[in-house]
Amino acid sequence: MAELRRFLVRRLLTFIPTLVGVTFIVFVIAAILPADPARVWAGGEKASPEVVQRLIEEYHLNDPIPVQYYFIMKKLFTNTMVSPVTHRYIWQDLMTFFPVTLQLTLVAFFFIIVIGIPLGILAALKRDSLLDTIVRIFALIGVSTPIFWLAYLLIYVFYVKLHWIVLAGTPTPPYKITGVPLIDSLLKLDFQTFAQIIKRYWLPGFVLGFAGIGVVARIVRNSFLDAYSADFTEFAMARGLTKLRIYRHVLRNAMIPVVTVLGLMFGGLLAGAPITETIFGLPGLGKYMLNAIRLFDYLALTGSVFFVGLIYLVANLIVDILYAVIDPRVRY
Amino acid sequence: MAICEPIIEVRNLKVNFYTYAGIVKAIDGVSFKICRGETYCLVGETGCGKSVTARALTKLIRPPGRIEGGEVIYYSDEGPINLLELNEEELRKIRGAEIAYVFQDPTSALDPLYTVGYQIAETMYEHGRVSKIKEGILRAVEVLRNVLMPDPEKRVHSYPHELSGGMRQRSVIGIGLSNKPKLLIADEPTTALDATVQAQLMDLLMDLKRRENLTILLITHNLGLVAEVCDRVAVMYAGNIVEEAPVEELFRNPLHPYTKALLRAVPNPRKKSVRLESIPGTVPNLINPPPGCRFHPRCPRVMDICRSKKPPELWRGDDHRVACWLYE
Repeated sequence: MAELRRFLVRRLLTFIPTLVGVTFIVFVIAAILPADPARVWAGGEKASPEVVQRLIEEYHLNDPIPVQYYFIMKKLFTNTMVSPVTHRYIWQDLMTFFPVTLQLTLVAFFFIIVIGIPLGILAALKRDSLLDTIVRIFALIGVSTPIFWLAYLLIYVFYVKLHWIVLAGTPTPPYKITGVPLIDSLLKLDFQTFAQIIKRYWLPGFVLGFAGIGVVARIVRNSFLDAYSADFTEFAMARGLTKLRIYRHVLRNAMIPVVTVLGLMFGGLLAGAPITETIFGLPGLGKYMLNAIRLFDYLALTGSVFFVGLIYLVANLIVDILYAVIDPRVRY
Repeated sequence: MAICEPIIEVRNLKVNFYTYAGIVKAIDGVSFKICRGETYCLVGETGCGKSVTARALTKLIRPPGRIEGGEVIYYSDEGPINLLELNEEELRKIRGAEIAYVFQDPTSALDPLYTVGYQIAETMYEHGRVSKIKEGILRAVEVLRNVLMPDPEKRVHSYPHELSGGMRQRSVIGIGLSNKPKLLIADEPTTALDATVQAQLMDLLMDLKRRENLTILLITHNLGLVAEVCDRVAVMYAGNIVEEAPVEELFRNPLHPYTKALLRAVPNPRKKSVRLESIPGTVPNLINPPPGCRFHPRCPRVMDICRSKKPPELWRGDDHRVACWLYE
């Protein structure tokens, strides 16, 4: 356990340079654009010079970029960063918009796991059969289908024709535990709210996860077959173990590469959310970031990037911890 | 020679591998009989079909391989059974319980994600020797003690990567013996180990054989080992048994040209020689094996008939057989 704590501290320390790096890059790209942010924020052409001047002082816009960056990060960490466009605290915005994105990502992740993994195992068990070929084609279609096209197609089928889904509103229960309604309603065993949330989110989640399902199925298939052809599987047969038990050995060994991919994919889903959120009208972090870019609100943008980066790093940390749970050879 | 009470008898076994390059006729009509209580050795160079033969005994051949013919009669306590006619579940009950295996490389034979204790326990559990895995892990301590594992109470909770090569192979032998099998098939059990550990493990195997009343089928390419531990030896070449004899007879009076060449290739420490002896030519491609005797392209005493007709099995005395036209 002491080893685990040392490992966690070490890993958390590596978060710092990574987060500084990503936020700095985004900030620099935004700040070097030949635009006049203070004027945009103050209302464009008709902005009064005094307001523009005050904005320039408030955000140190005439200082060199590293100084600007320093002040922005200081504001971010002391929770004094107010968006010059929405006039709200950035952290407050993030806490409002992030749960929507997280819910969307969780639903997408759920589809990837419950469809992708069994499909991959089936394809491995029926290797080179029709099913295996179908999974292969499905994976190819998955990665090459544009999300927006699939989204509109499914909206047409499930909303326009079948009326199976809801396309407006974001169900929020009156109570708050973690701040994520999906998780809160489950914790409270409030299945009515839960059903509402699912009804709103299942299709966007499916669309977002669609590309991942096929990819995961292929990886599960290949690593399952790798483990199945390993010596220890043959020895397990020679030991006279039942089929079920042999598959358990194979599956656990096959999960090691799958966990890696799932971890990376979770980050990818967060990043892929903007398009899905825009199409389905979900007020999530992705939409918030797109809005911030449109309004030249690079403070909100830098804050969001910081936050998404943090989530990504945490997801990878969880993957590393999971490794050690699955594989005793992994030591911290 | 004592009367042979057979434990397993192989008749005309044939195994093919269906690869993209063509059909590999890996085992082409192999027959032999193992007597209860003996150590029977299969020797031959890499790729001659020793391991495939051993695995085919309990139908452990995976695609693209297929057993194409023959019989494997196992003389169980309830009477003779043809193993090749059993279904998967009946075979499973025999594998690991009546006929156990020890594989060549203990590092890859053990599942890296489970402790050796667990792997011993589940082997016993699946054959109904213990009613719970937990009980099996307690019993595994005894199993490990039996194979002279140092500190078995601790080692039972070790993962394979925490053990040395020798300790891993001890665990594999322990798994093999955990259900008190009648026949132990040891497929090059010491090849992947250090020379010093090899000797220890062979001593252990022979000691266990005496204590547990085992019959051992030992597969090896090490002729020194053969001379030391085997009772009877079969020499394999390219999917055929070319000669079979009691060990002393084979070393004193080898008949088949391949056996002779093989014995000459063993370096003699008492004789100074400039270069090592080798057998000219290479092992044939088994997709298109040479017609007739498969050894004829490399044989120093090849005759016309060898090129066209497969030699019959000829008996020289009651326990020495050779497949060679020279003795017709």
